[in-house]
Amino acid sequence: MLSSVAERLYWMARYHERTEDLCRLTDSYTHLLMDLPEGSEMGWDMLIRILDSSEAYESNYRVYGESGVLKFLLSDSRNPSSVISSISAMRENARTTRDELPEQAWEYTNELHLFAQEHAAKSIGRRKRYQFLDHVMMSCQQMHGFLGGTLSRDHAYRFIHMGHLIERADMTTRVLDVGAAAILGRQKSNPTFDPLLWGCLLKALSSLSSYREYMGPVIEPASVADLVVRELAHPRSVIFCLKGIQHDLQEMPNNSRAMGMLDEAIKEVSSFSIKDKNLHKLHGLIEGIQQRLHDVNDIIADSWFR
Amino acid sequence: MKNNWKSYSASEHYDEMLTSAGNPRQIARNVAKLFSDCTKKELAEIKSAAELTIKDMGVTFTVYTEGTNIDRSWPYDVIPRVISAREWTAVSEGLIQRTKALNCFIDDVYNKQAIFADKVVPPEVVLDSPNFKKQCVGFSPKHSVWAHINGSDLIRDKSGHFYVLEDNLRVPSGVSYMLENRQVTKRVLPELFENNSILPVDDYPTRLYQMLASLSPTGKKKPCIAVLTPGIYNSAYFEHAFLAQSIGAELVEGSDLYTSDDDIVYMRTVEGPVKVDVIYRRIDDEFLDPEAFREDSALGVSGLMRAWRSGKVAIANAPGSGVADDKVVYAYVPKMIEYYLKEEPLLRSVKTYLCHNEKDREYVLSNLEKLVVKPANESGGYGLMIGPASTEAERRKFAGLIEKTPRNYIAQPTLSLSTAPTLIDDNIEPRHLDLRPFILQGKESWVTSGGLTRVAMRKGSLVVNSSQGGGSKDTWIVESGKK
Repeated sequence: MLSSVAERLYWMARYHERTEDLCRLTDSYTHLLMDLPEGSEMGWDMLIRILDSSEAYESNYRVYGESGVLKFLLSDSRNPSSVISSISAMRENARTTRDELPEQAWEYTNELHLFAQEHAAKSIGRRKRYQFLDHVMMSCQQMHGFLGGTLSRDHAYRFIHMGHLIERADMTTRVLDVGAAAILGRQKSNPTFDPLLWGCLLKALSSLSSYREYMGPVIEPASVADLVVRELAHPRSVIFCLKGIQHDLQEMPNNSRAMGMLDEAIKEVSSFSIKDKNLHKLHGLIEGIQQRLHDVNDIIADSWFR
Repeated sequence: MKNNWKSYSASEHYDEMLTSAGNPRQIARNVAKLFSDCTKKELAEIKSAAELTIKDMGVTFTVYTEGTNIDRSWPYDVIPRVISAREWTAVSEGLIQRTKALNCFIDDVYNKQAIFADKVVPPEVVLDSPNFKKQCVGFSPKHSVWAHINGSDLIRDKSGHFYVLEDNLRVPSGVSYMLENRQVTKRVLPELFENNSILPVDDYPTRLYQMLASLSPTGKKKPCIAVLTPGIYNSAYFEHAFLAQSIGAELVEGSDLYTSDDDIVYMRTVEGPVKVDVIYRRIDDEFLDPEAFREDSALGVSGLMRAWRSGKVAIANAPGSGVADDKVVYAYVPKMIEYYLKEEPLLRSVKTYLCHNEKDREYVLSNLEKLVVKPANESGGYGLMIGPASTEAERRKFAGLIEKTPRNYIAQPTLSLSTAPTLIDDNIEPRHLDLRPFILQGKESWVTSGGLTRVAMRKGSLVVNSSQGGGSKDTWIVESGKK
């Protein structure tokens, strides 16, 4: 397989995952804000901080209002991480690798693209927003299911799979990092709302039901972090993603450097633990993990895309 | 109401299906009958079935309009064009002869230049052409063949004789549509295949593969072949992908390849570098190699010419082949055939006036309204003037252009292109067409059975290019006598 084709498949998957994760994050955050009383100090700026896009946002928008933030996230093509930009990038990568994918994969991607082009800008308001987000998430899942059920388990599949996993792990750490900081940064904690906020964070990561299964019904911050970082059985957790990549790498040629890098990353993530449940140490820990994810991405690019 | 061909009139031109008396030609009888038995409703059904098939098969071509690229469905007319196998055999021989002579010529002008010394072709005609690439001088590719894939355009005049209108030796396109057209006809008119003995076309990919493999510099049993495309935005990208897939080659862009210091071309793959033996390139000479040609080319591969000249990689068509598809050079092809092959030309060429010859130029300038004036090295039907359809202002403009740069223009008499019945809305009407067969020459020579028939869809128009609204037809080479 050509390196350039491998790279496109990998990025197609990253953008695919990014689209879905971003929609889920937006959806659950919209729900949360409706439950919070006014003046609860949780603003729309948090979504922008999760994406590390404050600079880009502030150069185009004046205030962190709901409509500005939603426009930036959903329909602003100047924002390379917006839903509409991610879908376009996903489509462009699918278009140039049509030969490697089943014909329907291209059709699904194209349909999603056309839908987003038509509806994204009209879906900023709350009423239409749910419908839009829901449709995009479903389309992403459809594509996901289709690829999983039809692709041969060869290099093409592995690059797509790794793309999904690295993007998901990245998103998980971002949501955890910024979400936790926002909750902890409030002036006074509130026993009624705190569990709600942590629950929202879990929802944004599709992790709420796993949490109940593994950690019980009471939502505790340290357990939330534990689940989404190192619960092996949970498919949204960082460790799950890294193990998946490790599995894919075993089948690749010239994989020794990448395998070494993966081993180290997995070791670090497995030993993740918050000392004395002091959540203020969380940020430092996550930064370490994020660095590992960057390294993994770079070593994949270095080993097979050049 | 049924169509009984009575209302169809092609009178003044040669018609591919009907004789001048209005009766179906023997060879096309079955096709004529099928369509004469059709009601308008049935015709419409066949047409929409064809459109649906083309959409399902995803046969597209890309058009640039207002700075954007649109993928359009391939235009296909449901009524096939029928040519007899006996006639085609003669045409094929002529095409092979012609392509051989052209290859002798290219090899000669880049090496010995005997044809200049023997005063058969004036050197300035070739050496001053932008298609003459000095980077190719002193090299001769395997089998001494340069133009491995030739798409010659043929037309029929009033008398029904085939003429070669031009040769396309650079990156001729259209062959995938020839193959797809047949697929569509098989699906929408399967009954026609029962009673006709139609020569198949789908051996093209195999022949193409064998020809390309015969160019390989190594003795490897399965050489590594790559199709080099300018990328997704090229109008023929569909064809590039189609051909790569059907010959089992990699479809690559320039950035997928690199040349090592020892002049070997490699493809970047996830398994590591893979040596490439043969490149079927679909990008123009000028963009092939920024080291040798245009420095600003982002499409090409640095060092490709080095690798080619040191015999480490074969390129089809070879760089510099375009020197022989210049329209001025065209005028000399009959002489080339006699000079190199010591044979009489089997195919007719169109009388061509070379504007850099004073006598010819005078004739052209005083007969502009009767002639077709063409730039010597443009393709795609752009920048030409059709005399009888031209305005006074256009003629003045072209007269000026010719006087300014005579070498860049040729003129030919307006030819009457043959017509064939074509479905226009719900009527069958005559439309002009041409034919582009594909001639392969590597170790051996071979011609497609038929080729791509292109149709000018506007009434009376002679412009058949798909980029300018032309359509296409499935082309049948039929053995006479019942199956």
